Amino acid sequence: MMPFYTRLFGAAVALTLAAGPALSQQLELKIMAPAAPGGGWDQTARSMQQALVAAKIARSVQVTNVAGAGGSVGIAQFVNGAKGDGNQMMVNGFVMVGALAMNKSPVTLDQVTPIARLTEEIQVIVVPANSPIKTAQDLAAALKADIAKVTFAGGSAGGVDHVMAALFAGAIGADAKKVNYIPFSGGGESLAAILGGKVTAGISGMSEYDGQIKSGKLRALGVTSEKRIAGSDIPTFKEQGIDLVLANWRSVVAPPGITPEQRKVLSDAVENMVKSDAWKDILKQKGWDDAYLGGDAFADFLKKETTRVTDVLRSVGLVKS
Amino acid sequence: MTDLPQGPASRRIDRAGLVIAFALAALAAVLVWDSRQLQTTTMYGMGPEAMPVVIAVGLGLLAIGNLIDALRGNLPPRESADPRAVWLILGGLALLIAIIGLGGGFILATSALFVTTSAAFGRRAILADSAIALVMTTLIYLAFDRLLTLSLPTGPLERLL
Amino acid sequence: METFAALAHGMAVAVQPMNLLYALIGVFLGTAVGVLPGIGPALTVALLLPVTYKLDPGGSLIMFAGIYYGGMYGGSTTAILINTPGESASMATALEGNKMAKAGRGGPALATSAIGSFVAGTIATIGLAFLAPWLVDFAVRFGPEDYFALMCVAFITVSATFGDSPVRGLTSLFIGLTLGLIGIDKLTGQARLAFGIPELLDGVEVTTLAVGLFALGEALYVASRRHHTEEKIEPVRGSLWMTREDWKRSWKPWLRGTMFGFPIGALPAGGAEIPTFLSYSTEKRLTKHPEEFGKGAIEGVAGPEAANNASAAGTLVPLLTLGLPTSATAAMMLAGFQQYGLNPGPLLFAERPDLVWGLIASLFIANVMLLVLNLPLVGLWVKLLAIPQPWLYAGILVFATMGTIAAKPSVVELSMLAAFGVLGFLMRRFDFPIAPVVVGLILGPIAESQLRRALAISLGDPIVLLQSPMSATLLGIALVALLAPFVLKGLGRFRASED
Repeated sequence: MMPFYTRLFGAAVALTLAAGPALSQQLELKIMAPAAPGGGWDQTARSMQQALVAAKIARSVQVTNVAGAGGSVGIAQFVNGAKGDGNQMMVNGFVMVGALAMNKSPVTLDQVTPIARLTEEIQVIVVPANSPIKTAQDLAAALKADIAKVTFAGGSAGGVDHVMAALFAGAIGADAKKVNYIPFSGGGESLAAILGGKVTAGISGMSEYDGQIKSGKLRALGVTSEKRIAGSDIPTFKEQGIDLVLANWRSVVAPPGITPEQRKVLSDAVENMVKSDAWKDILKQKGWDDAYLGGDAFADFLKKETTRVTDVLRSVGLVKS
Repeated sequence: MTDLPQGPASRRIDRAGLVIAFALAALAAVLVWDSRQLQTTTMYGMGPEAMPVVIAVGLGLLAIGNLIDALRGNLPPRESADPRAVWLILGGLALLIAIIGLGGGFILATSALFVTTSAAFGRRAILADSAIALVMTTLIYLAFDRLLTLSLPTGPLERLL
Repeated sequence: METFAALAHGMAVAVQPMNLLYALIGVFLGTAVGVLPGIGPALTVALLLPVTYKLDPGGSLIMFAGIYYGGMYGGSTTAILINTPGESASMATALEGNKMAKAGRGGPALATSAIGSFVAGTIATIGLAFLAPWLVDFAVRFGPEDYFALMCVAFITVSATFGDSPVRGLTSLFIGLTLGLIGIDKLTGQARLAFGIPELLDGVEVTTLAVGLFALGEALYVASRRHHTEEKIEPVRGSLWMTREDWKRSWKPWLRGTMFGFPIGALPAGGAEIPTFLSYSTEKRLTKHPEEFGKGAIEGVAGPEAANNASAAGTLVPLLTLGLPTSATAAMMLAGFQQYGLNPGPLLFAERPDLVWGLIASLFIANVMLLVLNLPLVGLWVKLLAIPQPWLYAGILVFATMGTIAAKPSVVELSMLAAFGVLGFLMRRFDFPIAPVVVGLILGPIAESQLRRALAISLGDPIVLLQSPMSATLLGIALVALLAPFVLKGLGRFRASED
């Protein structure tokens, strides 16, 4: 089957290159969401499907779900099963980097062909409104006084929230290994623990706590972006003197072993999709931030993030060196 | 499966009961072995290795409890089982898994299970059952794949539709 | 008063003929997909959400509510008819419901489940409308130690499903607890009992276990002893409908089930399983027909079904007031709301009362539609049991595996399903109760993570379990529930010896 498709696709590529973007709507793509229906990666894959078809970049897009272990199951199947297939892509993101390292996955992100980063979400640290901690520096002081007593609530162990707790401790000169991080399943449960005053602070993506921050039930100590979010008065960590810049990004990659031409077709398709109105509408509707980064710049970024995350997880003892 | 004793159990040592007790003890051993592979990274409170050990202790005690029941012949009486029917159904499940694993698709896989199960319950009309199974699973496939866009595994038959 | 006016307005929108039709279509689609074992309401909603996109917000919201209720009821239908709980929350229903169906009382079982769902859904929806702000304050104060104490109460109540022998009941429970260990440890991210198989890292899926133990195990068992007694299933014996006696025995369990389901469902980590089992064991203790339990007691269907439905309405409390999706289904509903530019959270009741009350009215209407659609179908459903045995069980197995094939078509997952089938067969053969295995799988991991969270927060000091008044109270209840049978027995003996 595979050689036939490859040849067919080779022909399609030749045609596409000859005729320009007009014929690229012959693309028939398969996008894998390495997670169950409903989650972030699945929504990203389905949004891509919607936008690619609506903008007439692809003729048809099929989304498949391969759930399991933070994407470890999905990427294994993708790397082995889709090798050299220029019609397939997979959604992935920050969480997969840590999951692969922690699960000692035989397959790594070095093996896939990077296409583009699509979106990112800024992270935030919050405390209950009645907490004596007012600023990020207060939290830093509390950590330095007795690191064990400062409890952080957030998502799953080794995920972006956990990495961020460790990075925060590292940035203020505390021992990242001693951070008392308590993982909860899903934002809902951790939010209840924060509102109920069971933990000192909470870490999550901005959108999760937005409503609570606006209604005054939670106080945001800082955000992880380089500059303040437009229209928001929450300070960044950077302006409070803490070097903590981080985002929960999502990206799309292609299988290993595809030709440079095939890579170009996919990259162009994604770039055109990002520019389309359909994609912009979806971003607005879902509240996602555009963070498009294509080509070699993304490949570089992916490599750097992998090193950074693996180092952090090693420092907190989640990954054995 | 192979050591199902035939005939009603009487008030003597129950071999199946011994096997059960042994299996529970073995399970407890696996738990302890596995928990020793874990590293204690937890700085505060209880580590990941505590719960497996607690459960292993429980399983160990239950192994002893089941052993006592078996030695006293306290197990409830049971009737003889028909191994042929059980193996037929398990064979059907194995076929289903193999067909799905090899990309044979939903219709063939579930049809195989249907026919073997029906045979296990005493039907001899394999051809008629195959026909029924193929029609039924095809209809299910169409209903779920087309109307509800629920993606089921596709094989040669599904591609024809 | 304002609340009433808002609700009335919502109702007026919901009862427009077109919206009623959407509700009916939603309930139908939800039931059709929800009957697949392994596809619970969450996945049903996820799969069918795109269908609702094409409608205007009002119609789509109401169809959405219909899908949700249909999906839930679909799970109960299979639990009763073919002993295959479509999701973990309808497992308690299968215990008595299927026994009723086999005794020719499938009709009343389905009816009490549908009407009980309706009663509970209605009461809980009213509760949602009036108690939400107060209840959410209480729910948020529930900390890890309180959850752990609640789990302890739940563990004690499991014993209601043990059968005659405590040793065999506990063995089943511990097999379930062992299965619950499989996968990545939530608190440290380390793999336990996964043996290097990536598919095992996410742990054992409750529905895979339940379908394997209940449906596959049952088919294997019945097939293995077919030569002894030709098991005759009579689709209808006595009345197809609920008799006066059935009503009398159902209404109290409905109400009690609601009392368990709604508040526990409102807790961020409460879930639907615990209230269903609390309700089951309560009914078993309070019934005037204890001899019928285990053979098909209607109270054992009425209570858990009401609890299941009430807890579903309960999850809307944190969702609407705090924007907290506390279950997979709630997370899907959140995705659905966002589709209409609706952001659940503390500001929702203030900013968009029309939509909130529209939703609550939709839920109510969907509930009515469920009753309208399913009560007439009870006769048809029950007739399914008249299919000749070979085809009936062959069909059940196709159906049971189909859920897994649709949700996770991997060789590992299907092999696990088959292995659980064999386990279910052996357990039946050697007279081990089935339900505690599933309960152990559900409760074990929750109890463990909550205890460990509580201890991490207190830096390892176990006194935290007694410091919280809620936790201390619940632990006290657990202790009393554990000791009461022994004490009563002792008192009985004491009195007997006095005489």
